[in-house]
Amino acid sequence: MIEFKDVCKTYPNGTEALRHVNLLVDKGEFVFIVGSSGAGKSTFLKLIMCEERANSGEIIVNGRNLSSVRKRDVPYLRRTMGIVFQDFRLIDNMTVYDNVAFAMHIVGASSQDIRKRVPYMLGLVGLQKKQRAYPSQLSGGEQQRVGLARALINNPSMIIADEPTGNIDPALSFEIVDLLSEINRRGTTILMVTHEHRLVKHFHRRVIEIHGGQVVADSSASPAEVLS
Amino acid sequence: MKLNSLGYLLKEGIRNLWTNRMMSFASVGVLVSCLLLTGAAVLFSMNIDSAMASLETNNSIRVVLDDNLPTLEGIQVGEELKQLGNIETCEFIPKDEAIKQYLGDDEELLAGLVGSDNPLPDAFRISLTDLSLYDETIAQIRSLDGVQQVDDYSDIADKLTSLDNLVATAGFWIVILLSVVSLFIISNTIRVTMFSRRLEISIMKSVGATNAFIRLPFVVEGVIIGIISGLVSGVLLNIAYGSMVEAVTNIAPFFTPVPLGPMAMRIYLYFIAAGVLFGALGGAISIGRYLRREGGDIIGW
Repeated sequence: MIEFKDVCKTYPNGTEALRHVNLLVDKGEFVFIVGSSGAGKSTFLKLIMCEERANSGEIIVNGRNLSSVRKRDVPYLRRTMGIVFQDFRLIDNMTVYDNVAFAMHIVGASSQDIRKRVPYMLGLVGLQKKQRAYPSQLSGGEQQRVGLARALINNPSMIIADEPTGNIDPALSFEIVDLLSEINRRGTTILMVTHEHRLVKHFHRRVIEIHGGQVVADSSASPAEVLS
Repeated sequence: MKLNSLGYLLKEGIRNLWTNRMMSFASVGVLVSCLLLTGAAVLFSMNIDSAMASLETNNSIRVVLDDNLPTLEGIQVGEELKQLGNIETCEFIPKDEAIKQYLGDDEELLAGLVGSDNPLPDAFRISLTDLSLYDETIAQIRSLDGVQQVDDYSDIADKLTSLDNLVATAGFWIVILLSVVSLFIISNTIRVTMFSRRLEISIMKSVGATNAFIRLPFVVEGVIIGIISGLVSGVLLNIAYGSMVEAVTNIAPFFTPVPLGPMAMRIYLYFIAAGVLFGALGGAISIGRYLRREGGDIIGW
């Protein structure tokens, strides 16, 4: 599903964001990615989404080598992943329903499909009664669930969540991760960047720790592999 | 592009325009002035062309005879003129007739200027069959005995031509300048929309929208600005030209301006086409620049 082979990324200003990163995330896994800020987590996500390109090494996502993906094919690659942001990124002047439908419009779905699928997805995240509400009328947790519904609406094979609980009441964070676990149980790969050790401890999932641009710990790998 | 998307994108473009109406208004204003100036320059040029054409078709050339040339000899000159070959009409205008044409029928004015006191000479008004032989024929006429001078309108034609050239040159540069300004303003207007919608753009990119899909609402916005500008400037030019024609015909009744009626449709069409072109270009430029520079960011924009 996602494979990094000796990947290095240095930005034009000289910042070495990732150094010789090797890892493999299989289909259907749930992975926490932890690390202090500036460790290279965002770069890691950007590389997967093809927002940045690696300087060396190979990245394979859904069977495609990203170094050979043409620029105009990037949007189609992104349709195989759903992205959840820390700051929700909901459009204020659109209702919950429209925010989710927006993602379907973008990929050219028919109005009929949109009318069928959006309520179903809002039901899945427990917001069927808030379809007509605006983001400002929702709690942080609810807003993030809208974000999740939007990420899921086009049926991606993986969810990339960039600190999805970062702006949410700690009590409600568990709810969001529960929801992600449920989505994962249905077969979607989950990649979740987080700062919150409570969550990582509580959910007993694979944890990849990035520090100084390198993978310093990977709970699924043996210690020897990490050191090499 | 699927049909589903097209309707959606059109709606989005119109929404952009309305949310950002002050800047849209400014864009329309600048584009209207640009189109109006272009239109005015073209109409001016057309009028000069038509004036010159009418000068040529009337091509009344006045052959002035020597002062105090006896009438009989004058008639003789007329016969010689007719024999030149390239003369279509040849009409004798005796000096008494000429002074009346010049001063009108005012008896008082005419009183002291008739008969031998008339300062005007006898003349012929002629027109040519073949205008391409103009210079040769005029030279032949000049060489005839008894001909004092030949008043043709070539000097007026020269002046009109040079005025036409001046207007065309000045108009060309003004239009180029204004085109650049309109493109700049339109693309900035659309940049403002884009900036206010960068959240949407980042979401669109994260969900996998193609650049064409992201670009289209902004191009639609530009095209609508263009259509509105085309229509407004078409109406304004029609009104302005109408009242100008009226004023000019009052001042100079001998001059018939080019009627706008038959061209009105074409003016609208050209204006709208030019507006659409500019609008679309402005939109495409700004969104292209944005997508290349800042719009690539999804995480941490």
